[in-house]
Amino acid sequence: MWWLNQAVGLVVKVFLLPFTDLNPWAGMIFISLLTAILMLFIYKKTSNQSGIKEAKNLIKGYLLEIRLFQNDFGIFLGGLKRLLSANLRYLAYNLKPLLVMILPIFLLLAQMNLWFGYNVPQPGETLLLKVEFNQAVEVDRLNLEVEAPAGVIVDSPPLRIIDENEVNWRLKIVELRGGQLVIKNGGQKYAKDISLPQSKLARVSAIRVNQNIWEQLLNPGEKPLPRDAEIKKIEVVYPSARLNLFGLKIHWLLAYFVLSIIFGFGLKGWFKVEI
Amino acid sequence: MTKEKEDSGLSRRRFLELILSTSAGLAFFPKTGFLTTKGRRQTARKVLVLGFDGLDPILTAELMKDNRLPNFKKLAASGSFLPLGSSIPPQSPVAWANFITGTDPGGHAIFDFVHRDPRNYMPVFSASESLPGKHEIKLGDLILPLSGGKINNLRRGRAFWQILEDYDIPATIFKIPSNYPPVESKQKTFSGMGTPDLKGYYGLFNFYTNEYKTITEEYGGGGRVHDVFVIGNRVESRIPGPNNPFKKGNPETFVDFKVFIDPVHPVAKIAYQNQEFILKEKEWSGWKKIKFDFIPGQGVSGICLFYLKEVRPKFKLYVSPINIDPADPALPLSTPDSYSKELARKFGPFFTKGLPADTAALENEVLDENEFLTQDELVYQESVAILEDELRNFRSGLLFYYFSNTDQRQHMFYRFLDKDHPAYEEKLASEFAPVIPQTYEEMDKVLEMCLGKIDSQTAVIVMSDHGFNPYRWGFNLNTWLLENGYHYLLPGSRPEEVTLFQQTDWARTKAYGVGLNALYLNLKGRESQGIVQPAERESLTRQLANQLEQLVDPRTGEKIILKAYISREVYHGPYVDLAPDIILGFNRNYRISWNSPLGNFPRELIEDNRQKWSGDHMSSPAVIPGSLISNLPVKLSDPALQDVTAGLLSLFGIKIPPEVTGRPIF
Repeated sequence: MWWLNQAVGLVVKVFLLPFTDLNPWAGMIFISLLTAILMLFIYKKTSNQSGIKEAKNLIKGYLLEIRLFQNDFGIFLGGLKRLLSANLRYLAYNLKPLLVMILPIFLLLAQMNLWFGYNVPQPGETLLLKVEFNQAVEVDRLNLEVEAPAGVIVDSPPLRIIDENEVNWRLKIVELRGGQLVIKNGGQKYAKDISLPQSKLARVSAIRVNQNIWEQLLNPGEKPLPRDAEIKKIEVVYPSARLNLFGLKIHWLLAYFVLSIIFGFGLKGWFKVEI
Repeated sequence: MTKEKEDSGLSRRRFLELILSTSAGLAFFPKTGFLTTKGRRQTARKVLVLGFDGLDPILTAELMKDNRLPNFKKLAASGSFLPLGSSIPPQSPVAWANFITGTDPGGHAIFDFVHRDPRNYMPVFSASESLPGKHEIKLGDLILPLSGGKINNLRRGRAFWQILEDYDIPATIFKIPSNYPPVESKQKTFSGMGTPDLKGYYGLFNFYTNEYKTITEEYGGGGRVHDVFVIGNRVESRIPGPNNPFKKGNPETFVDFKVFIDPVHPVAKIAYQNQEFILKEKEWSGWKKIKFDFIPGQGVSGICLFYLKEVRPKFKLYVSPINIDPADPALPLSTPDSYSKELARKFGPFFTKGLPADTAALENEVLDENEFLTQDELVYQESVAILEDELRNFRSGLLFYYFSNTDQRQHMFYRFLDKDHPAYEEKLASEFAPVIPQTYEEMDKVLEMCLGKIDSQTAVIVMSDHGFNPYRWGFNLNTWLLENGYHYLLPGSRPEEVTLFQQTDWARTKAYGVGLNALYLNLKGRESQGIVQPAERESLTRQLANQLEQLVDPRTGEKIILKAYISREVYHGPYVDLAPDIILGFNRNYRISWNSPLGNFPRELIEDNRQKWSGDHMSSPAVIPGSLISNLPVKLSDPALQDVTAGLLSLFGIKIPPEVTGRPIF
């Protein structure tokens, strides 16, 4: 899984690299445009274009039938039935491209969350570090220590939440440098990236997870923890980011879907794709 | 669970709920719309007014003499330094309203912190009133308002910045008291004293502890104790929010929160909604946002501070009153609406509650002196940061900027300056006696910053609404009225158990005291059960005033009331008829007691004030004038607050409107 995440991450990074010093909207518009083009391409290649066209024509025809014969209840009902059937046919034609697209889109979304999902704290601000241990571990008996990179201070003693098998620390940002946090438990060491970039758009990995595939899909920012690790998850709780649209705070996912759809419909004629 | 002192009959708690519930539910206040500030004139002269609440001229002069206020001294040397006549009574809302309107209470209708409703004799807040929406649809327990509620500023008369606006002269007015909600204006204004917290109170803190603790709820504020249990190093409780206007009965809203405590270290994590943060013992959280939901999609957001006072052996967590979030104000805070959001964008969350420092928490020993000062220092730092920014953008017109620290710290720390004060503690005095002088020094630093950022053509005025004096003894006005046959209770009543005039025999009562300086006659035709005939009013008023002025404290041999002002003689303007009949001007060291203003009848006529709230300003204005320092020579030898207003207008060449009764000071 890790190699796949790395590959997708590299592609996204290459595309977003020119936009790191620009307003995040620039990167968002660009990646939405690319996604729209990619989706149109996959859709065209994997869908039955003539079948879709036929189904759409039928839908239009049956809509007309319903409109024309709205006073004849028998024909009206029959038209509705045929309209429903044509709609189902249209949906069935969409199923294949949807199945083909779902994985790349999912991988892409997880990567985009790293770029658009978090705000980087400023010097003087604090972050929460959460380390979740496996069930078998008794967190109150551990001899834990956190080593922070330059520019970050471990600002509290460990806070052990026994019920939740979790240990928390407060980190204070002194300088925007970043690096790796190292969580030490006796002889064992576990690293976690702490991303403190100064650019306007940057990749921030908030969570390092264990080998669980689903967790890796959702949190592709870092190599998973070793199989024998007693830690389940390490998280740095960054403040969540919003895109600013004339004072309105918008979640990046909403912006991405709206832009992708606009671009998709805008370019479908150019690419001669029947949607 | 909350511990509150229940009184017989109508409890104080219930009373507060009754008068405040409407304001708490005003999530739908009518937006005044985005007001533009177009066509602003470039003025030849700029005027900067610094309002330091309660800056006492005697103490200021002493500190200037000792060279502890070099910038005040410099300013005074270049112009004037005079005592500034305060209002009758010299309470902040009244005094600042005098300044705002350039007239006396007869012209602006603010006579006291607290007025009374003549229909039922109940105390009401003088500054603003909240009215719920008129139309609503009820669906079972759900209430859907069809029209917005309304909050009215009860101050009458035009504000000086509205007059400046007529002449296209720009003004920024930051946190001036007696301006909540801010009156309609195209000027940049931010509301000050009188602005409630999100619950509609003047400040209600929450204290979570597993130690036995009681708290006295004050009029319109105070705090609540929540008994909590530490189970498995975890505490669970809830933060009360505003009443829900969408639910039948307007129940209180809550936000649940959890506290996770380390088994050994004095550290805890607080988690609620989507927030998680760690606090070490004796640490403040900084501002945290909190959202109270009414129904899906409808709610209000506020901001609060957490303070982890103690982890072990007892758990103690303080949560400040929930301030209105300036980034998303649920109640009107500024004109234009965008001004508060602009400040929030620049500075993040900041105190919006009218009187920001939590004096009730110190009074109830929820916060100690140092903790209170830490909180008030945050107020100061925020104020300085915003002022610095306003000065950067101050290119024309007038800038008024208000500081509350002088007032709040003098109220709470005067006992350390006054060895004869009943609450004087020698042990603490060595540590805290310097607080008040140091606060004055902080204000001097503010002035230094201002002088460094303005040009030589800018007129600078440093002013205060009143001075300060010790509050050693409290006078029970209603007890005196009872003892002297002006007030009667129903047969069988025990005076010391009566609250809010619950046992008053109005058919025999001729006078009653509500508020901090006010005495009302039970006047026929005005009060709902009035018995004093209008023809008798004049003689009765004079008789009462004379008797009150003769009162001597047998313990000190001093007069308790220096002057009993007859309102019709000292007030001018269209609202004189709304005024109390007599305004008590107390002698130095005296004030109304804690219980008398709310219609109570304590046993003693004069009681020692052993509370931490130990300095005050309810005296005759002659005893505690405010301060006036300016780089311009003041032409009046006895300037008063309303004269400063006339002076400001004259500096901009504006003809003084007839409703402004002040004489120009320049």
